[in-house]
Amino acid sequence: MKRFAGWTLASPATLLVLLGLVAPVAATIYTTFGTPGGPFATYQAFFGSGFRRTVLIRTINVSLIVTAIALVIGFVTAYVVSRAPGWLKSLLIVAAVFPLLTGVVVRSFAWLIILGRNGILNSTLVNLGLIEEPLSMLYTQGAVIVAMVYLFVPLMILTLVGVLEAIPDDLIQASASLGARPSATFTQVILPLAVPGLIVGAVLVFTGSFTSYATPQLLGGEQVMMMGTLMYQQAMVTFDWVSASTIAAIMVVITIAIVLAMTRIARRLNPMAV
Amino acid sequence: MTKPLSIRNITAHYGQTKVLEDLSLDIAEGELVSLLGASGCGKTTTLRLVAGFLQPSAGTITLGGKDLTRLPAHQRDIGLVFQNYALFPHLSVADNVGFGLKQRGIAGEAKARRVNAMLERVGLAHLADRLPAALSGGQKQRVALARALVIEPPLLMFDEPLSNLDAKLRIDMRVEIRQLQRANGTTSVYVTHDQEEAFSISDRVAIMHAGRIMQLDTPENLYQRPANAFVARFVGFENLLPMNVVARDGAQITAEAEGGVRLRLGLEHFGAIPDAFVLACRAEGLAVTDDPAREGIPATLGLRTYLGRAYQYQCDTPAGLLVANGPLSRPLEPGSTARLVPVPEQCTILAVEAD
Amino acid sequence: MPTKLHPALIGFTVLVFIFLVGPLVIVVGAAISDTTYLTFPPQGVSLRWFENIFAIDAFRRTILTSLQVAFLSTFIALLIGIPASYAMSRYRVQLPGWLSTLFVLPVLVPELVLGFSLLKNLAFQFSAPIFLSLVVGHTILILPYVIRVISASLASFDFSIEEAAVSLGSPPLRTFFTVLLPNVRSGVIAAFILAFITSINDVSISIFLTGPGISTLPIQLLAHMEQFFDPTVASVSVLLMVLTVAVMAVVERTLGLTFLAK
Repeated sequence: MKRFAGWTLASPATLLVLLGLVAPVAATIYTTFGTPGGPFATYQAFFGSGFRRTVLIRTINVSLIVTAIALVIGFVTAYVVSRAPGWLKSLLIVAAVFPLLTGVVVRSFAWLIILGRNGILNSTLVNLGLIEEPLSMLYTQGAVIVAMVYLFVPLMILTLVGVLEAIPDDLIQASASLGARPSATFTQVILPLAVPGLIVGAVLVFTGSFTSYATPQLLGGEQVMMMGTLMYQQAMVTFDWVSASTIAAIMVVITIAIVLAMTRIARRLNPMAV
Repeated sequence: MTKPLSIRNITAHYGQTKVLEDLSLDIAEGELVSLLGASGCGKTTTLRLVAGFLQPSAGTITLGGKDLTRLPAHQRDIGLVFQNYALFPHLSVADNVGFGLKQRGIAGEAKARRVNAMLERVGLAHLADRLPAALSGGQKQRVALARALVIEPPLLMFDEPLSNLDAKLRIDMRVEIRQLQRANGTTSVYVTHDQEEAFSISDRVAIMHAGRIMQLDTPENLYQRPANAFVARFVGFENLLPMNVVARDGAQITAEAEGGVRLRLGLEHFGAIPDAFVLACRAEGLAVTDDPAREGIPATLGLRTYLGRAYQYQCDTPAGLLVANGPLSRPLEPGSTARLVPVPEQCTILAVEAD
Repeated sequence: MPTKLHPALIGFTVLVFIFLVGPLVIVVGAAISDTTYLTFPPQGVSLRWFENIFAIDAFRRTILTSLQVAFLSTFIALLIGIPASYAMSRYRVQLPGWLSTLFVLPVLVPELVLGFSLLKNLAFQFSAPIFLSLVVGHTILILPYVIRVISASLASFDFSIEEAAVSLGSPPLRTFFTVLLPNVRSGVIAAFILAFITSINDVSISIFLTGPGISTLPIQLLAHMEQFFDPTVASVSVLLMVLTVAVMAVVERTLGLTFLAK
């Protein structure tokens, strides 16, 4: 009995994941190959469609932009937070965690209020006399980007604070003792050691953006359709489940490919296996 | 170009706690001084103050006349060797060693030459392109050493550099460090909790306790002539007997301890003996004998342990519990009576301290 | 560290935190506004939009459904996740290496894909009831969080105290409850909270699995937004935020908030 104790304990969870995740997703991807037009017909149809190509490219672009912005904002903020005195650091981490826990709907909704025609941004601009007519900011790519940056910056900050704290203090001290100014210590010691963590953070944000639904739906609607909203539309409005499955398969492939590639790169760059 | 270090009246705090009080220490040019003590005694704090990672609340630190006290750490030009080596994991051995040179604007040919020369000196030239993760503890320590030496600093500081190495390596490395330091002639501060290490390589040792220097002296003086009870116990005087002189007779005095125990001590060995004093004896400074004719402290013997070179006895005496050694030729049974005869060469006189 | 930060960096960070907290403040403001449209700053103060939540049948029902699904899936995830983490810590040699990768899969596979696949292959194929599909989906979603948090707790657990208990005569099951669980208590609490909140807030899986009659709160919120763009949405959001604050207070009391930084 003892010999199989491990499996006995782990089997319910294993079964759930196998039957509830692996099997259904595999089945979904499988159906994309079984159409009458040939094994890759659905993919040809997808990439052949100008509209769908646009959606894919738009999603990739938006995700890249969101990742880049979140990286910069997140890294600078994480650096400052990691250097803050104890009580302040705890407070800042709480402030960064709180948005994460409020859920995607609330956080996207907030931007509807801010960017709407009668929203704060417009009324402020009008009151300051900078514009005469309220701008139409919703349902644009910009709105989606802003809302997604808002969604992912806390995640990036938390990830990077962890990365920066993992850099041993005595490395910073050694660098200073050898004559490096604080900016030199940053570029020559801290940044290189943070790169693997930066990659992890970037992957999280990119894949999160790429597969996002609620935010593009609320802030982009049909004018700025992305892979997530397109998939939903195909599945629940048009009931074209094959098309939806194709989108699902593409999402899975891109997500896993990026995670694998980046993990490999991060592992090769990670010297902190001391 | 090495310089003398002068620490004057330093007081330091961690938050509200005072960790150093009015500490002063002068280290001459080319001297290696160890700061020795248990954890919490303030030795690492002192090192961090000189390095610039901690600001003192009062006092000054000068190196060869240059006031370092308000200077930021990266401008102090001090070579530091860390306990955990602090090697940059993303840089090769050569780049680690060359880091300090790079900050000083030395690059290309000149840098490569100096790095290679230093790597040769520490015997690591064949590992120049390796990453720290691929090195053993001893090799990492040598890289750390090379990195601190190559910048030719006026002061070197070592923060328990050998405590993470195994015993044999520790002994080999401390000799290497001393040899390198002697060859360079660099003023050095060496922090350790290992008494043997400090005593074997230092010109002088500062024994520290609770943020104060209890005695700063050569290893020989510390070992043979401790200045106070703390240092005496630290260097191995297990028995401390408060005594009062009851009679003086030329070159001899008679003194009485607690319990009416009387001993005769010769001024020839001990020098001047004040009326009230503490007699400090090592375990080998009290010889156990069962010969009733010998003069000494009457004792009832307790547990006997075997030291290899002698037997050691826990002794119950009228003057208190004492630890004494006896010859291998005559093992005595627990419970038997004996006399403890002072051996002057292993004893010393201490002043009475106010509590 | 003694060196100071450049004031530009500090200023930038202040702006970032205003950026992070600001929109949530705006939502709170809009929820208490005494207007029928969403506006900030609030004009007048009124709690009627909070009352409205409970007046609307759909919200009442979906709040209940969300809570039920969250409690049930969290409970199940803990029930199967804790033994699995324990097995991977204690019996690592018995288990294949791909097992830990398996448990990370729900994080790698996009939620939308999981939701859609469950719709197709569970709800549709087997005519499974919506509630069941929701629970299955949510449990799979939160399982990796449970396993990761518990595994981290177990990493610093000294298994020799277990062996000490057994040598003193305590049977294995009792040992599990009296020796192991209390020592990973903080991990269990953290896992519970993380899992619960993730389930309550989930959209991407629920969006496919909900239907007429059964829906979760976030999905209902989205639907309501499409139809009525009124402050009720804001007040529901505030309700969710209050729930979050309550949860964080619990965390603070039991674990200390910096635990969340891990």
